[in-house]
Amino acid sequence: MNTQTTLFKKALSNPLSLVGFIIIVCVFLLSMLAPIVAPYDPNYIDVKAILLEPSMQHWMGTDGLGRDVLSRMLYGGRISLLVGLVAVGISTAIGILLGALAGFYRGWVDTLIMRIVDVMLSIPSFFLILAVIAFLTPSIINIMIVIGLTSWMGVTRLVRAEFLSLSEREFVMASRTLGAKNSRLIFTHLLPNSLTPIIVSAVLGVAGAVLMESGLSFLGLGVQAPQASWGNILTDGKEYIQFAWWLSLFPGLAILITVLGYNLLGEGLRDALDPRSGTNH
Amino acid sequence: MPPLSNLKIAVSLSFILFIAGCHSPTDNQNLIDYNAQFPKISGGTLINAMTGEPSGLISMIAGESASSAISSNIFNSLLKYDKNLELEGDLVEHWDISTDQKTITFKLKPNLKWADNNPLTSADVLFTWQAVTNEKNASPYASDFLLVKKAETPDPQTFRVTYDQAYAPALDSWAGLQILPKHLLEGKDLHTTAFARNPVGSHYYKLDSWKHGEHLKLSRNANSVLGPARIDNLVTRIIPDNSAQFLELMADNIDLMGLDPIKYSRIIPARPELQKKLALYKELGNSYTYMGFNLKHKPFDDVRVRRAINYAIDKQEIIDGVYLGLGINIASPYKPGTRWSNPRLTPYPYDPAKARALLKEAGFTDSNGDGILERDGKPFSFEIITNQNKEREKSAVLIQRRLKEVGIDVQIRAIEWASFISRFIKTGDFDVVVLGWGLGLDPDQYNIWHSSQQAPGQFNFIGYNNPKIDKLLEQGRLELNPDKRMDIYHQFSATLLEDCPIIYLSAGYGLTAIHKRVKGIDDPAPPAGIGHNSQDWYIPQSLRRNEISAH
Repeated sequence: MNTQTTLFKKALSNPLSLVGFIIIVCVFLLSMLAPIVAPYDPNYIDVKAILLEPSMQHWMGTDGLGRDVLSRMLYGGRISLLVGLVAVGISTAIGILLGALAGFYRGWVDTLIMRIVDVMLSIPSFFLILAVIAFLTPSIINIMIVIGLTSWMGVTRLVRAEFLSLSEREFVMASRTLGAKNSRLIFTHLLPNSLTPIIVSAVLGVAGAVLMESGLSFLGLGVQAPQASWGNILTDGKEYIQFAWWLSLFPGLAILITVLGYNLLGEGLRDALDPRSGTNH
Repeated sequence: MPPLSNLKIAVSLSFILFIAGCHSPTDNQNLIDYNAQFPKISGGTLINAMTGEPSGLISMIAGESASSAISSNIFNSLLKYDKNLELEGDLVEHWDISTDQKTITFKLKPNLKWADNNPLTSADVLFTWQAVTNEKNASPYASDFLLVKKAETPDPQTFRVTYDQAYAPALDSWAGLQILPKHLLEGKDLHTTAFARNPVGSHYYKLDSWKHGEHLKLSRNANSVLGPARIDNLVTRIIPDNSAQFLELMADNIDLMGLDPIKYSRIIPARPELQKKLALYKELGNSYTYMGFNLKHKPFDDVRVRRAINYAIDKQEIIDGVYLGLGINIASPYKPGTRWSNPRLTPYPYDPAKARALLKEAGFTDSNGDGILERDGKPFSFEIITNQNKEREKSAVLIQRRLKEVGIDVQIRAIEWASFISRFIKTGDFDVVVLGWGLGLDPDQYNIWHSSQQAPGQFNFIGYNNPKIDKLLEQGRLELNPDKRMDIYHQFSATLLEDCPIIYLSAGYGLTAIHKRVKGIDDPAPPAGIGHNSQDWYIPQSLRRNEISAH
């Protein structure tokens, strides 16, 4: 059994991370099945049903244009998850590439890449993203790319550190002595053995990206009307928070629960990875 | 039991009593009958709120509504509008227009005084005119006053201006210019003078204190040229967020605020405790929302396409859905019911069949069966941009749906105001906008529609160019006879409606909630709105706040 599977098994034996895992699976299923489970078309406008309280017809009420909040939440979930996964995909890819280069070749390559990382880390990322989005058109694709391009630094450091320590290990040295090419060293020895911490950081990264997308949409710089996302349902609710509580509560809860889910699972994986955490293999 | 504990009990008991004591006024308040009759007496404090803090109180320099909202209580103009929106004297007793219509002579009221007891004379008026037209001051209101060829003061009570040619909006422009004191400002740089934060005026109120970021307090000016106002103090609190303002209104910490339709017709009526203490006022608003085409972009240069889109949009649906019925469908760019609005015009009805026919005539057909019309192989698709205004965004969503039904694909983008103006409006880089225009009291709309007003930063950013409209606008500026002028602007509105460079979506109502402790408000509102007699509003003694808690 390979290490990743063992890691997951160990992590899921921890009840908290199991809860996190179940939450993520549920959110995934609900969003993927949105066209089947959603009771209404998320963009169907009914000006006669504006701001209705939650009821049997509309489980989560209706919004300022009479659209069904539950349906919009389900479709909005797809956006949040899509943004989370793609953004983390991008940042992880960049992080692995740069981290591997820095950790494997060392010397000036390492210095250069790590200084770039330092510079990127010194800029508050939310403001950087705000500035970039202000210049580009706000759209899902741009948001995914921009979040991805501004959050790869952690992964880079992680991969570099793994590479640095792994390349001192006997099996790598042996392989090198036997005349293995750099690409073989990287792809068959170093990378597979660094994968576990990368997975942990990616899972935690999804939580950050979901939160970031909600924040941007809340500020009106994210997903554009009429498309729903949890962040922009929340903005619609902001104005009527004393009156139409359902417009703020449900998307707020959805963001909270989803981010919590990813964090619980991520923490569980990290604990499982930590040899000092006590449990036996 | 040691004696110390007794003391503790005593302390906590008195604390409980103290809390109970604090509570009782609120209980009393619930018992107050705000609808009873009260004697009309002076005094008290009225608290309102504004979202933005003024940059200064010289409004010709600040050029923003936050500034003029405050300074209009401190400074007078030569003329003002009465409750029926007819001009009357403010600082002037009467004014004469020469027979060639080029010279206006204003006669000031006798014995006018500034709040610091210095006399207010025609020299102050001349100084103000020089200030507003001085290039160094770069006042956004300069253009009207630059048309004055000669301004003179034959005596301390007379001010005379001469124009190159008759200029009909002149009187309206003088009603908008707040007169500043020469003796305090002569030789000063108006952009940096401390006067902007410590003004001396002639109107009902003077500035008492200004706590940066918190509030401005005005108190009654004993020298007021129009006699005393009833309310002693006007406090304006700076509360940048609308929902926070509403919380303060509900908590009784401010006395009035403007409402959106949902607060007006859904939230307040649903809460008896709010209904008991807040009176709601509805008046015709001073603005309308429209959808404007970039006429330099294809296919919006084709009037058939513009009309088709007008027929395809259900304006009543927008009024019902976005404004909860609190809006009016209009057919001319004037306040409905005023003399300038042409009563013979009717808005384009919602008629998708006619829209489809017009689009077909303009060469659009759905050749590939995807539900979107094409012309020359290109799908009919465009982007509506608007600023981040909830009502406008919602209107755009409703428009998007209706246009999809006739085969037009629409995207929507809401953009933050500053970049909306600088990146899209000023550069003309847009297809269609959803925006609003404020309605002035003078019918002249030269700078919005005349073909000469298309430079970046000017108001004809949709690129409208119609020789017939240009001519009417030029005529309207030269005609001082109100009836002839009315004819000109009725023709102007009719041509505009036919040519359809913009689609009128709705003229919303101005909605206000005012605490019932404030009395003397005209209801229903006269054409000039409820604020026209605010100097006669009063707060009966028994309904006043505890003045200490009020600031």
